[in-house]
Amino acid sequence: MFKRLGSLFRVLTRRREFEDGMSEELRFHIEQWTDDLVRSGMSRGKAARLIRMELGSPTNVKADCREAFGVHLFDELRRELTYAARLLRKTPGFTATALLTLAVCFGANLTIFAVIDSVLLRPLPFPEPGRLVTIFNTYPKAGVDRDGSSLTNYYERRGHISAFTSIAIYGYGTEIIGEPGSTEREPTMRVSPDFFSTLRLGPVIGRTFAEEETTSETNHVAILSDTFWRQRYNADPNVIGRQIRVNSVPRTVIGVLPPAFRFLSSDARLFLPLASRPEDRLPSRRHAGGNVIQMIGRLRSDATLAQAQSQIDAQNATLEVDDPQAKMIADAGFRSLVVPLHADHVAAIRPTLLLLEAGVLVLLLIGAVNLVNLLLIRASGRVKELAVRQALGASHGYLVSETLVETTLLTLVGGLLGLAVGAGGIRLLEALGYDRLPLGGRIAFDIRLALVALAGAIVMGIVLAAPIAWFNLRRHLGNALQSESRGGTSGRTAQILRHGFIVAQIALAFILLAGAGLLGLSLQRVTAVSPGFQSDHILTGQILLPWATYPDAARLTFVENLMDKVGHMPGVLAAGVVDNVPFSGKSGKSAATVNGHILRPGESARGHYSYGVGGDYFRAMGFSLRAGRFLTADDSRRSERVCVVDEDFARYYWPNASAIGQRLWDESTAGKDAEAFTVVGVVGGVKQAGLTEDEAQGAIYYPYAFRIGDSVFVAVRTSLPPESLGLALQKVVRQIDSDIPVNDLRSMETRIADSLVARRSPTLLAGLFSGIALLLTAIGTYGVLSYAVAQRRREIGVRMALGAQPARIRRQFLSLSLRLLAGGTLLGLIGAWQAGRAMGTVLFHVQPLNLPILAGAACVMGILCFAACLLPSQRAARVSPMEALTEG
Amino acid sequence: MSKTAELLPGTLDMLILKAVSLKPLHGYGVLVRIRQISGDALEIPQGSLYPALYRLEHHGLIAAEWGQSENNRRAKYYTLTAGGRRLRDETAGWNRLATAIAAALNTTSEEV
Repeated sequence: MFKRLGSLFRVLTRRREFEDGMSEELRFHIEQWTDDLVRSGMSRGKAARLIRMELGSPTNVKADCREAFGVHLFDELRRELTYAARLLRKTPGFTATALLTLAVCFGANLTIFAVIDSVLLRPLPFPEPGRLVTIFNTYPKAGVDRDGSSLTNYYERRGHISAFTSIAIYGYGTEIIGEPGSTEREPTMRVSPDFFSTLRLGPVIGRTFAEEETTSETNHVAILSDTFWRQRYNADPNVIGRQIRVNSVPRTVIGVLPPAFRFLSSDARLFLPLASRPEDRLPSRRHAGGNVIQMIGRLRSDATLAQAQSQIDAQNATLEVDDPQAKMIADAGFRSLVVPLHADHVAAIRPTLLLLEAGVLVLLLIGAVNLVNLLLIRASGRVKELAVRQALGASHGYLVSETLVETTLLTLVGGLLGLAVGAGGIRLLEALGYDRLPLGGRIAFDIRLALVALAGAIVMGIVLAAPIAWFNLRRHLGNALQSESRGGTSGRTAQILRHGFIVAQIALAFILLAGAGLLGLSLQRVTAVSPGFQSDHILTGQILLPWATYPDAARLTFVENLMDKVGHMPGVLAAGVVDNVPFSGKSGKSAATVNGHILRPGESARGHYSYGVGGDYFRAMGFSLRAGRFLTADDSRRSERVCVVDEDFARYYWPNASAIGQRLWDESTAGKDAEAFTVVGVVGGVKQAGLTEDEAQGAIYYPYAFRIGDSVFVAVRTSLPPESLGLALQKVVRQIDSDIPVNDLRSMETRIADSLVARRSPTLLAGLFSGIALLLTAIGTYGVLSYAVAQRRREIGVRMALGAQPARIRRQFLSLSLRLLAGGTLLGLIGAWQAGRAMGTVLFHVQPLNLPILAGAACVMGILCFAACLLPSQRAARVSPMEALTEG
Repeated sequence: MSKTAELLPGTLDMLILKAVSLKPLHGYGVLVRIRQISGDALEIPQGSLYPALYRLEHHGLIAAEWGQSENNRRAKYYTLTAGGRRLRDETAGWNRLATAIAAALNTTSEEV
């Protein structure tokens, strides 16, 4: 089979040689034969006649020879292509409209497909990626859906769950890399030694981490990513053994990863061992995950997800027997879930992407319907021509292949244009922040996309050709030939078909419009949500302090120093620090125990957002004070344990009493009296993780000295545009320690806006899609109506000659369009309702059946269709009876 | 020459394979050789010879190469390929069959 294709290909690429050879061969044959005949005594003329009789015409022989190679098919194709191209050139208006429609529809589809492909379809870049899972702890009844895994979980499970070949843990981080004076902050990952073997992709140079390298005394090693190795070490093959300073501590490079290594969406450039102390691995720390450490596992080839889950469940049940907190943990609904890694990573964005995909498919459908209608109109104009050709012997097969070649030529060019539009679309997505989606970094314009475009174009060509071919073949030759007009009559079926398509188009556009409206309303409702503090004029930035050079006391001094210096910066109204700012995207909840609170039946301990705040944090962020006082910088200097809670917390625990003076512990069990924190103030509730956060889980604010974290977020309220303060802030920090940079410098408003990226951009895209859909529908409606008018010119002329009023004619056409509109809108309403229900998960505080949105969409559709019909109707009313009756 | 000496479908291919298996031949040579081995009794439909040659070449059973003819003209020579040889070997009693066909066709032409 391939051999024959190869031989056909060789002939096609050297076509001239093939033809010349054929001629020469035949000539040689004839000459040889003539010579032989003449030698046997025949006259030259008689010989030539005989040969001609025996051999037949050389043209026929050559045609048969071409057929033997299958070359003739290509000759025919070329002839048909030339013919189709000539036809398309003759109708530039139609061709331009069709190509534009195809370009936009294909472009939009390719763009969204590029996203779907990179995020949902393409497997993770590891061997047998389908066997990779993630395992995380969940305490749903405590309001903590996801808490990662603890070190204890890892050391207890490792080697004891037979459904896994291996499990590993990791955590994301950022580290300060380099020599003093020239430091840079780099994204890193801390991983357990079996991390790379679990992924089955590890260093190409050097080795992975060893088990002995997981303590804080022995973890002075590092593995480099390929880009880091190339940029920083110039791809030096002898990099192994060299020293690299990480957070001011020298580490030895022991490995370099391959270029293709990319774990999920992480852009980590340096990999360090996940070190821990023996006491961090004790059973008492089993539920201390805090969403910092995540666990992955590789399923054994004969194990299923369900087996892994039941083994984990069984082990949890056994271990929890000895747990002093067993009851509380069980009440919180604790489970460790085993979930496919890829699916879990993209779970949040999946519904939105599928929604967008549905949107562009509808758009493609509208475009296709539009094209079929335009093509049908075009075919109606050629009825007679085709009938004549059929009468002269053109076969059905030939006519079908001619239609197919024409539509496919159109869709292929459209697909090419669509690729260009798609490339632009991908740029647009980048501008909309799609590269920040999970796995969004993989979105690219590549060969896969081109192949999809090609396949799509061919399928589209066939789909478009089918109704046209059917239309061309189904008519009776005689009728078409006898009909008086040059174009022939188009028949009732064709008209019903065209009108049906218009109804479908209006319905589909209606659905898109209503869907975009719902998304827009939902976005508006989200942005209208108050974050709970005055988010304007706040600059925030993250400062990462290495533990090696900044132990607890040094951290406090640093914060004191920083607050003093920042407070004196011009334009600063208030400044504070917090261990994690709202909308940072890393909110975690921790347990707290309220003095005297007895769990009601069915109630479980709750997780709360817990923060350590310093300086004038509350004033800087514009929190509102409900009772008592804010925490101040002094609270971190004193040994008295005080805290502030938010109103949601206060309402939950002391619904009928004042929160001030109440006591609580920052542990999951009540501690000693001396360790209790006294509530000194109640502040307004704040959206911590995002504006769409509905459940007020309650928050506790401790003085920074009692809750020191890895990083310090600084928040500055200023009278100036907040971003303008960035450089000054960085300078102040460098003055304190030249090795410490400020990262993630963003105003609070930018943070909030960024948190909405997964909502805003789909809304924008849906708006764009429905805009295009409206335009296409208008073009389609206008085209069909214009055609209807043009076709019935003579009838209109006769009626007008017999006394029909122009207004009546106009009314007739307008009422036709009104009927089409009514039908389309009715179908669209049903569709929009269903679409709204399917969109439920992405909508925020918007019901699927939203009357104002539906009414608005109906209005827009009505105006649009009316406008599209007005012009043709006017033209109908202005038909001059004389002209209409006299013309051909 | 009688038109009744037409070949059965497929037999022309076998005759060509047989002809070129002895030594490389150009198209006209194939014609002459077939005539010769069938004792002039077998007439090949001339119009089908070249399409058949091209088909066999396309299927990889014979290979074509340009060369010099006996009278120093450029001519295209056909040789049996490995694939063609295998086909010939697989067909047991190929020679017998060819002779039988020739004989049968001879008889027919005598009867008329």
